[in-house]
Amino acid sequence: MPCTWVMACAYAPSGCAVACGGLDNKCSVYPLSLDKNENLAAKKKSVAMHTNYLSACSFTNSDMQILTSSGDGTCALWDVESGQLLQSFHGHAADVLCLDLAPSETGNTFVSGGCDKKANVWDMRSGQCIQSFETHESDINSVRYYPSGDAFASGSDDATCRLYDLRADREVAIYSKESIIFGVSSVDFSLSGRLLFGGYNDYTINVWDVLKGTRVSILFGHENRVSTLRVSPDGTAFCTGSWDHTLRIWA
Amino acid sequence: MSSKAQSSNNLNQARQTVQQLRLEARNERIKVSKASADLMNYCIECARTDPLLMGIPASENPFKEKKPCTIL
Repeated sequence: MPCTWVMACAYAPSGCAVACGGLDNKCSVYPLSLDKNENLAAKKKSVAMHTNYLSACSFTNSDMQILTSSGDGTCALWDVESGQLLQSFHGHAADVLCLDLAPSETGNTFVSGGCDKKANVWDMRSGQCIQSFETHESDINSVRYYPSGDAFASGSDDATCRLYDLRADREVAIYSKESIIFGVSSVDFSLSGRLLFGGYNDYTINVWDVLKGTRVSILFGHENRVSTLRVSPDGTAFCTGSWDHTLRIWA
Repeated sequence: MSSKAQSSNNLNQARQTVQQLRLEARNERIKVSKASADLMNYCIECARTDPLLMGIPASENPFKEKKPCTIL
């Protein structure tokens, strides 16, 4: 990659391409191939152009569209083939740090979280912000939809994770402890949505019981801050990436 | 003159915020008691298929610790 920091990457639903981007303000798509002789860098396609760093990217239901969020305060939907901007989403007052698409059964919406402490829910077709939640006290680093699509969780630099219900249009739970003072970098739900995993900047992972609001467990192992966390699609394990240069799988 | 431009900018911003808030106010909301009941039901229904909650039977776990083999 031409730039020094890659801040976002995503797999295409078919598994045949990856998109990535970062400080180069662009999102590029690379087709994957098992052929070692192929020069993949030559096949790279530059899809998105922002005026500031790319913080997150995600393919929509198909390989043909990509959703991106950027430090320029906007999110945008792009057509991969032509590189054309299909829709842009304005409303955040500061850098947008994360986004997550609604699970496919619930329609064309996505949620984004930003440095303005707000989490916004957007309609992908109209570009309109449908709902907005502002209860965090600091930057929102990570947002993730609840498996049913009716709620989403967010993790923030204010050391809390919060659960927002979309139909009730309000925050319904806060996951925090006085002893936790370091920000959350990444959150994800277990398959059933009963457990919420949070990767923290104090090198630990806290596991919360979503319904009771209590901490189930704390996991140690990383030697530096946990920067990203994702549960596997079959729900049997989750993986964390950290500033200690390792990826660990927990099961 | 620049302060006029600034204040008109602020005015525009305020107008946009008010418009956005009006749109959001029209959203239909349900009661939290119903919303949380639904979340709970979803959790309980899906709990059986959640390997991180229920655990994986030892026969299928490729990472389980192996006991030493003793030969009579």
